[in-house]
This record gives sequence, structure tokens and C-alpha cells, in this order.
Amino acid sequence: MLIRIETESEIPIYTQLTNQIIEGIAKGSLKSGDALPSVRAFAADLGVNMHTVNKSYHELEKKGIIQIVPKSGAVISHYDSIDDSTMNRISDQLRPYIAEALVLGLDKEKLLELVSSLVDDIKTK
Amino acid sequence: MSLSIILTIFVFIIGLQIAVPYLVKRTVIFGVTVPEQFINNDNLKLFKKRYFVSMLAISIVIMVAFLVWALGSNRDDQQIVIVGTMMQFGVILISLSLYIYFHAKTKQLKKESKWTENLKEVRLTDLSIRSQDEMLPSYVYFLPMIITLGVICYTIFQYDILPNQIPTHWGPSGEPDAFTKKTPFTAIQLPLFLLIMQIMYLAIHIATKKSGIKLSATNFQASRNRQLGLRKYSSWFTFVVVLLVTMLFSYFQLTMIHSNLFSGMKFLIPFAFLVLVLIGTCVFAIKVGRTDKGGPVKVEGGITDIDEDQYWKGGLFYFNKNDPSIFVEKRFGVGWTLNMANPIGYFIVLIPLVIILLISFL
Repeated sequence: MLIRIETESEIPIYTQLTNQIIEGIAKGSLKSGDALPSVRAFAADLGVNMHTVNKSYHELEKKGIIQIVPKSGAVISHYDSIDDSTMNRISDQLRPYIAEALVLGLDKEKLLELVSSLVDDIKTK
Repeated sequence: MSLSIILTIFVFIIGLQIAVPYLVKRTVIFGVTVPEQFINNDNLKLFKKRYFVSMLAISIVIMVAFLVWALGSNRDDQQIVIVGTMMQFGVILISLSLYIYFHAKTKQLKKESKWTENLKEVRLTDLSIRSQDEMLPSYVYFLPMIITLGVICYTIFQYDILPNQIPTHWGPSGEPDAFTKKTPFTAIQLPLFLLIMQIMYLAIHIATKKSGIKLSATNFQASRNRQLGLRKYSSWFTFVVVLLVTMLFSYFQLTMIHSNLFSGMKFLIPFAFLVLVLIGTCVFAIKVGRTDKGGPVKVEGGITDIDEDQYWKGGLFYFNKNDPSIFVEKRFGVGWTLNMANPIGYFIVLIPLVIILLISFL
């Protein structure tokens, strides 16, 4: 799977990495049980600081998306059902964006359409 | 004999120096990053051609002058070696000055043409690239080390039949021309140096393996081929050189113990070693140089690779604190260069050399 970062973007590099890895898993390019490259190798290949990659891996670990196992490194976790606390977290994160969209004039139908087209886009691309 | 050795080296050095602009990474022209979209710019092509033609003309003049001088009367081997070596340095210095000149011109052209304006700088990597890396495994380096240990053991067992004068230097003919008194240490000094060198090469190999595989966002395929090719071929090349050096040193050590061994072909062995290494260098440079040369590429609009010119001091020395790589691909030429901001590199390259120098002068 290809990872592409923009150094001059407003989004910090570690967030760009995190987002792309998550999308990669959603698309199926990365599967549960797959190992991510070591922090050192990943940072060297991208020519970025090791802390940047480390920060991204810790963010992923906090979200429960990867597990950092001693010796084998970062491994993508397995998930078949969502628990209540994760559900709450996602809902809390989505809420302000939905409110913003409503304020800016997007109605419910359009909003659902947008969400559904984004899901399709992530899954198929 | 010295003349033919000097001339052989000469021809190889000149050949490689002339070809350099056509062997380097396609998006780096005279040490300046040029976006993929503009690498076929006419001015840039002209710069490359001018470098090639000037280098060729100057080299021919120097070589002819040297030949005329060397074939004149009363030149002894010593003089030929000294002058020949100076000439080789001269050729390298001239190519360096030409490089600096065209580096400045390319930089200016890049600035004036505003190539990078309105282009988004993008960096790319492939999460599975490491599994495609075909560098030799590190344990193959144990093979020449075992040979060296064998030679050391053999020397210890044969200590009694060793001559009282241990050779420490060999001339171009393969005959020893400098000696030191026999002690248990001087007897195994040569294979010991060899072992230190082998350890250094192993460390370089491991460090290169850990260094980043830098891919281009604008031409993923070509940069991938080049990086994987450079890694694969340079690991083979280094390993072959280590094997050849091991064979040469073991040969010297064995002829010291048994002076009649290989008699009659003595002069051939160092020469064969030299020719093999030079041919290997050429094959390596051409193999790597051709890995990223392909047809025209379609570049996604609006993006370019990260401009790393700021990290390349004078277009020659890489200095990037953020990059954990110890070695990076050279800007001008084929091969690797140190990331000067990473102290581990100095240790790998300098410490063994310092040890060898200390031992030989103490």
C-alpha cells in the first residue's frame, strides 16, 4: 500500500500517516494481523523524523486500531463488533461535523447521501 | 608493469567520470532536484552534453600527454606511479570543477524558470517495499571472515617455518618490497587488518540495509527500480570486492609462509584482482545507471517530489538531521554517501581505519 504525505500541508505529518493507514485498513489494503514497518524503517523511507512515525503509531494504538507488540512491532488489530465506548467516541467526534454541516445548510437527505458516497469512495478506491 | 596498471585505472576513471551525468538518478541533474516534468528541458540536455564533451576532450589531452611523457627515456617505475596517480587526481579535480560549474548553472536555471512554483511537494512510500528488497543477507559476510580466521590459525601453526622478515608492503608486481621483524603479532598483522576491514564492510552493509528506500511520488516505478537496483547490486558488488580482497590478502599471507607457492604467476594475481574490481565497478555503475531509464512518464499534475536541495551542501554532502538513514544515494555518481548529520556513519567508516592506522604506526 502506498503512503503519500505533503510536507507543506496544514495537517501535521503524523496525522496524515494515521489517516492514510486507517483508510488503508478500511479499504482492505491492510488486513488485521498485518505488521506495519518498524518506526525506524518507515521514518527512513519517508525521510521524516522517527518521532513523527512514533507519534502516529501511538495515536493508532490509542484508537485501538493497532497493537504495539514487543519484538514484532506494530500489528493491525482484529475487530468484528464495535463496543459501546468506541461507539460513543465516534459519535462524539462526528457530532460537531454534522452540526457544522447542518448550520451551513446541508439538509438531512443531502448529509446521508454525502456519508454514503464517502463510504463507497473509501471502500472502492 | 606499473604503466599498464596505471593506464588501466586511468581508462576506467575517465570512462566513469565522463558517463556520470547519464548514470545518475534522472531527476537530479548536476546535484539539483528537477521536477520530473522538466527533466527533458533543452538547456539541461545541453549542460549534460557540454560536461560530457569537455570532460572527454580534457581527459584525452591529459592521457596523451601522460603517455608521451611516460614512454620517454629514463622513466623509472616510481616516477610513473607518482605522476600517473597525480594525473588521476587531476582528472577527478577537473570533473569536480566542471560539476560545480554546471551545478551553479542548473541551480540558476531552476530559479529563473520557476519550475517548482505552484507545485505541491509530495513524498511517497510503499508499506510493502521492504519485502521487495533483494539485498544479500548479512550472514554471507561470515564466509570471508571464516576464511580469514582460518588463515590466522594456519599462520599460528606454521609460525616456526615463517621467515625472520615479515613483508608489510607489496609492489605492483606482487613482490613484497618492505619488511618488518618477525613477532607473533606482525606474523598475523595482515589477516588481522583484513578482519577489521571485513567487519567494517559488514557494518556498512547492515547500515545500508536499514537506510531509507526513497521513492519518487512523480515517478514511482522508475524510482522504485532504481532504489531496489542500487541496493541489490551494491550489496553484490561490495560482497564480491570483500571476497576478492580476502583472496588477495590470503594469497599474500600464504606466499609469505610458503614462498614457492604460485611461483611463475605472481605478478598476475594482483593485476587480475585490479582488473576484476574495475570491471565490477563499471558493471555496477552501468547496471544501476540504467535501472530508471525508461520511456516518457505521465506525471500527475500539480505535484513534485520533496525538494531536498537544502540538505545537500554544495550538491555533494548530505546533512539532514530528520532523516534516520545512515547512507543515502549519491547525488553525483553511482553509489552511497554518508548522512553527515548521523554520527553512526562516522563510526562505521572512520573507526576501523583509525584502528588500522594506529596499529601500523605503533
